This record gives sequence, structure tokens and C-alpha cells, in this order.
Amino acid sequence: MNLKKIKEIPIVKKLGFNRIVLTGVLVLMYVVLSLIVDKFAGMPRIMSALNYAYFLGFLSLGVTFVIATGGIDFSIGPVMFCCALISGYCLTSHGVPMLLSLIISVIVGFIFGMFNGYLVAYWRVPPFIVSMASMNIAKGVASVFTKTQSVSWPQAAKGGWFRSLVKVGKFPVGIVIFFAIAIVCSIVLNHTKAGRYILSLGSNREAVRLSGVDIKKWEMLAYVICGILVGIAAIYFVGAYTTVQPGYGDQYNNEAIAGCVMGGTSMAGGLASIGGTVIGVLIIALLQEGILALGFTKDYQLIITGLIVIVAVYADVMARRRNN
Amino acid sequence: MGEVILEMKKIDKSFPGVHALNNVDFEVKRGEVHALMGENGAGKSTLMKVLTGIYTKDSGTIIYEGKEVEFNSTREAQDAGIVIVHQELNMVGHLTVAQNIFIGREFKKGIRIDDKKMNEEAKKLFDRLNIDIDPTMTMSDLTVGKQQMCEIAKAISHDAKVIVFDEPSAALTEAEIEDLFKIIKDLREQQMGIVYISHRMDEIKVITDRVTVMRDGCYVGTLITEESTKDDIVNMMVGRVIYEEPKTKSQVAADAPVVLKVEHLNAGRMVQDISFELHKGEILGFSGLMGAGRTETARAIFGADPKESGDIYVNGQLVTINSPEDAVRAGIGYLSEDRKRFGIVVQKTVAENTTMADLPNYMKGLFIDRKKERDVARKFVDSLATKTPSVDQMVINLSGGNQQKVVIAKWLCKNCDILIFDEPTRGIDVGAKNEIYKLMNKLASEGKSIIMISSEMTEILRMSDRIVVMCEGRKTGELTIEETTQEKIMNLATRDIN
Repeated sequence: MNLKKIKEIPIVKKLGFNRIVLTGVLVLMYVVLSLIVDKFAGMPRIMSALNYAYFLGFLSLGVTFVIATGGIDFSIGPVMFCCALISGYCLTSHGVPMLLSLIISVIVGFIFGMFNGYLVAYWRVPPFIVSMASMNIAKGVASVFTKTQSVSWPQAAKGGWFRSLVKVGKFPVGIVIFFAIAIVCSIVLNHTKAGRYILSLGSNREAVRLSGVDIKKWEMLAYVICGILVGIAAIYFVGAYTTVQPGYGDQYNNEAIAGCVMGGTSMAGGLASIGGTVIGVLIIALLQEGILALGFTKDYQLIITGLIVIVAVYADVMARRRNN
Repeated sequence: MGEVILEMKKIDKSFPGVHALNNVDFEVKRGEVHALMGENGAGKSTLMKVLTGIYTKDSGTIIYEGKEVEFNSTREAQDAGIVIVHQELNMVGHLTVAQNIFIGREFKKGIRIDDKKMNEEAKKLFDRLNIDIDPTMTMSDLTVGKQQMCEIAKAISHDAKVIVFDEPSAALTEAEIEDLFKIIKDLREQQMGIVYISHRMDEIKVITDRVTVMRDGCYVGTLITEESTKDDIVNMMVGRVIYEEPKTKSQVAADAPVVLKVEHLNAGRMVQDISFELHKGEILGFSGLMGAGRTETARAIFGADPKESGDIYVNGQLVTINSPEDAVRAGIGYLSEDRKRFGIVVQKTVAENTTMADLPNYMKGLFIDRKKERDVARKFVDSLATKTPSVDQMVINLSGGNQQKVVIAKWLCKNCDILIFDEPTRGIDVGAKNEIYKLMNKLASEGKSIIMISSEMTEILRMSDRIVVMCEGRKTGELTIEETTQEKIMNLATRDIN
């Protein structure tokens, strides 16, 4: 049976050929790593990989909406750090209650989303430029706010109840919440007006505008959704690692975008898959765990995700060329 | 006519769900103009794309100058001497004519580009074609007709032996078409094989030697043009005679109220002081030559482009239209001449495109009511006879005529009372054209008011109750259908306003 026929099988069509292949890759990676790395199999490694997958996953879900419009956001990583730093600083240095601090994190993300979205949608500044600029703004704002100090969120034993959003005992609560939010994202993208317009304007902006749709509003909304998810990502970052330093976060841009495009979201806009993004993120998270387990440094992770982005985008370009 | 220079035998090509070419045969002789005709979706473009290496064929053979060939890119086909002049021009606007013609193979003097030599060579090409164009002019300053001639010159400069013209006359004025025909005749004299794709029956009679007709991806037959009639060809294409008489009398009631009134509309050079009225149930034709400013007027009314001044009244009420959103709210729908760019979202399904302008009415709380959406799409697929396997088909997979029907469905779904059809049948085959005409008449009789922009005289005469003629951004006249003649329209359309 050739590839074309396999793709036509109803169940394959429904789940998406790409997603099935990616799931296969994910399982294969896990099996291979378990075989070649001593003690890789088992909960500790999985929990560690999941910690990475949570915050990266929320970033990736967020950027999926932006990429669906045909835009891009290179500010998500630093904005996530900015959210974590500002809210953490409020918590540790200003005595703001925990719950409120978490809300502040989401609000900071929301504000950056509004800012990016407004400039892109209403002023027509290219998303590439806007997000590059707000990346630096995020870093700067965070540094100013925290007086260039790193912020440590409290451990679970010392009032850090928020960490039970990540896990309770040995149970990974985070995965439940992550999947729940991913499902919400999928519903928003595929079953609401917002999602329909976001995808449509990503495919043909002018046609949607001439249908009498307020495309600016909907394009901006994609960035706002992204910003909110970045704020949530920040909670999961500190939930997993507690400490954040100002001036970092860039590396996660690439990884989040890699997860997204690997999952079948087209950089040209108009096509997006939340399910694909989730699997893509899990692959990246497992990859980073594997690289560390194999004794390589984090630098290799950067190289590999960089290459993944290029290969995934190239595959998307080729697929579109074939369709034309 | 000389010996056969190009022969395509039993060409087969399938796309997912579509058998685009089914054992198609086609040949071109040296020194002949061979028309390739067929309804939209008949497979003409696909066949030519297989020829020029854009698509790979599934099976069949192509024999060119006695040898079997297989091109993997347009570049390879070009190097072998097979070139295609596309309907859409592929020119770089801010480069000169000569720079465009020799783009990618510039003459060099050391490492510098030798513009002088390129200008001379371009001049030689134009002389050979008897065209008067200055090679040093900037491309974007030329008219569409002149730009196309540059395309032809570029094609010839590749030492072409076979030239494919894909609807070359679609964007040209009458005078430009005559020039084009002169060039094509010259090329024929020079023993080139010419493939001519067009929907314009009159042109086929004038310019071609033989006609090959395709239908639904199959080869139907080849006729000698001189020995066949228009109806012969049309019958091969659709299997029925379809020409209708022009309208002789307005179908609008004398006391029909004014639904749209435009006063002193100004929007740049192309829209200067335009005023007119549209009555309920009327089809108001907008006639004029290419570049008369009709599309620009429509876009300004619709809020797609900004306007400088002017008032728009809908049902007697002054309305502010600053965006398409405002226009749609006022009950105006606009069907663009360029469906792909402005009409449809190709990566969405037929159903999703149908509700694009009216999505708020297809919601169940926060969610889109997919069932209701599919139902309404199915209703319009049936009533417009749109050819699609299902309403869940991506619009990218439909032919041009069917894509147009999806756009019409979009505005019918929104239930707009005023519809602006901009070149509603451009690039659409005769059969589907007829359906769209019937549909427009039906809409008008149901009380919808239609502005129809058209560059085809027959279409204007056949459909309009009243006609506004424009020339170079100004309204030059208004005619009732009873008093209209082709000559009157042409006079107004070419009126010297300076």
C-alpha cells in the first residue's frame, strides 16, 4: 500500500497522518532512550520531562494562534520570564498574596499580547519586528522592576501551594491541566467564531476583510490569547523550577515554535493543529531530557531545535508547493 | 501549416479525488495557431502545466521535435523552446522593460550589468514583433496591454518554438487585442507552433487554424476552424446551444424605489465625481474599458478602499461606509473580479466559505453550529448547481466557475439586498456563465438590486436594465437599455475627456 492510500484511510484521515507519525516518533524516542540510557525508563525522568513540557506547551499553544494568522511571535520566552519575575517580585518583595500574584502573571502576559496584537493588527507593523522589539522590552521591564535581581518562588513546604498545580505527591496534576487547556484551545480554534476568523484571515486576509469581518479585532485577539497562555506558562515555569533570572528566555521561543510547526501548523498561516502542537511539544521535552540524560549540555538542545524548526518549515513549504 | 512540432499522447493526470486528465491527445504543428477550448475545469490549464513541467504526468508521452521529452520545471521547458504567456503577468514593476525581459540572464560587462546591451537586444526583439515600446521605460508605467507584449517579447527571446497563450486577451482593450493578433500572426509566419487558450468564441474564429476541445478532463475532438461554426465548437464544449438575445426592455417597475444613491464620490484618480442611483430589482450595468475606474468605484462604495468625499444613501438614509464591515451592515455585498485574492479562502471548505460573511447567524451560543452551516451550504450548492463532492471540500480543489458560485453563495447567505458583481463571469466557461446570468436575473426579480461591472459588451447588453458608462475615472454617460446600442456605449467609453 502506498503512502497516498494510507492517508485516505478514514481513521488515519481523522487523526491526521502527520500526528500519527509524530506520536510514533515520540514513542520510538522514548523506547530508544530507555534502551541506551541506564535507568531512563520510569517516573523520575517522565516527571522531569513533563516539567519542561508544561511551560513549553503553554508557550507553544499560544504561538500556534499567532502563527495561524500568518504572524510570528519571538517575544514569548522573554515575556514568560517577565511575567514570572514581576509576579514573583510582587509576591516575595511586596507581600502580594499568592493567588493575586498568579493572576498578575497572566495579566502581564495579557498586556504584552495586547501590545503586540495592537501594533500588528492596527498599525500594520510586521509581527517579526513587533515581537523582536517587545522581546527586548520584556527583558528590560523585568530587569527594571526586579532591580536586576533573580526571584525565587517559595517551595511547597513554605506556602508555595501553587506548586500543586504542577504535581501533588507523585501525581502530575500539570498534565491534566495542560491537556484540559489544550482541549479548550482546540475548541476555540475549530469551533468558535474567533478560531474560524483567525484561521481564515491567516489564509486570505483580504477575502475575509471584504466579507465584512473586522479582521483587526480578530488578528489582535490571536496575540491576546497567546499572551494569556504565556502568562500561564510563567506559572508552570516557576512551578517547576522556582527561580527566574532577568535577561533570559529567548531560547524557549525557538523550542515553542518548533513544537508548533512540527505539529503541522503552517508558518504561512491558515492551517493549525492544536493536537499536533501538543505532540510536538512532548517530543521537544523528551528530546531535552534525553540530551541531558545522554550527558550532553543544553547547547546541543539549542542546535537540535534550531534544525527542527528549519526542517519542519521546509517540509511545510514543500507540502504547499505540491498542493499548488 | 508545417509538420507536427509537438505531440502529447494519452496524457493522464490525477489529483486526490479528481481525474484531471484522462488519456488526452493534443498536437501542434509548425506555423499554426491551435486553440484549446473547454469549460472551466475541462483540463486545459492542467494539460499546459503538464507540458511546461509544472505538473508531472501520471502516464502518457510528450514528443517534441521528434524526441520524447519530459520537463521537470518551466525552466527546462523554456530552455527547450516551450514557453507560456500567462494570463496574470509576471513582471517586476519597478524594473525597466529590458531588465524584465532579460531577468535571470542579464548581459554582463565584467561583473557589471550591461544595461545598454540589454536595451539594444530588447529593441531588436520589439522590432521583430513590430511593437513600439521603449525598452528603458519602467514596467509599471506601461498599460496592461503593453506589459503583455513585453511578456511575449520575453517568451520569444528564449528562442521559443512553441508558445502557449493562456487567455491573453482577458485584460486587453479592443485595440490592444488587435495588436496582439498582429503579433500572433507574425509568429505564425515565423513557423512557430502556437497554443491559444481562450473563452472568447469570436477570437477563436479570427485567429486560430484548428480548435481542440476538451471536456471534463477528456479529449473531445479537433476541428479545422475555417470549416466549423461557433455552434459546432460550443456544442462540443457543452453539448447544447446557449446563446441568448440581448435585453430589449427594462424589467424594473417605473415606480421602483431608489435603494442606493451615490453622490459626488471621489477616491483618487480613478474615481472622480461619480453619482448614480440604483433602483430596487434593477441590474445596473457598469460599462467601460479596462482602467475606466469601475472596480475602483465599486471598492470605494464598499469601503474596501478609502474615499476622499461623497455621500452614499441606502434606502434614502445617509450611511457612513468606512470599511467593508460598514457596507455589509448596510446590506451591500461585493463579488470581486479576482476571486482567488479577494473572494474565497482556499484553505477553508465550501461550507466555511459560505457562512464567512454571516457567521454570527450560525452560532449556537459560543460555538459554530456546524450542522446548520453545512445545511445552508448544501442548500446553495444545490440551488447554484455548484460542482463539488461535498460541502466539506476545500475550495482550493474547485474550478474557477465553482469557486465563483461559492462567493455568490456567501453573499446570498448574508442576504444582502444590494449586490455588486465585478466581472461576474470572468474566466468562467459558457455553460456556467449562463447559469450565473439566470441566477442574477432571478435575484433581480426577487427584489435584489445589482450593480454589474462587465467588460464584455454582450454581457452588458444582455443583462442590464440601465447602463452607466465610465472612462478614465469619470462617469461619461447613462443609458436606458431601450436606447442603448454598442456604438453608443463605445463612444462614451472612449470619449476624449481632455
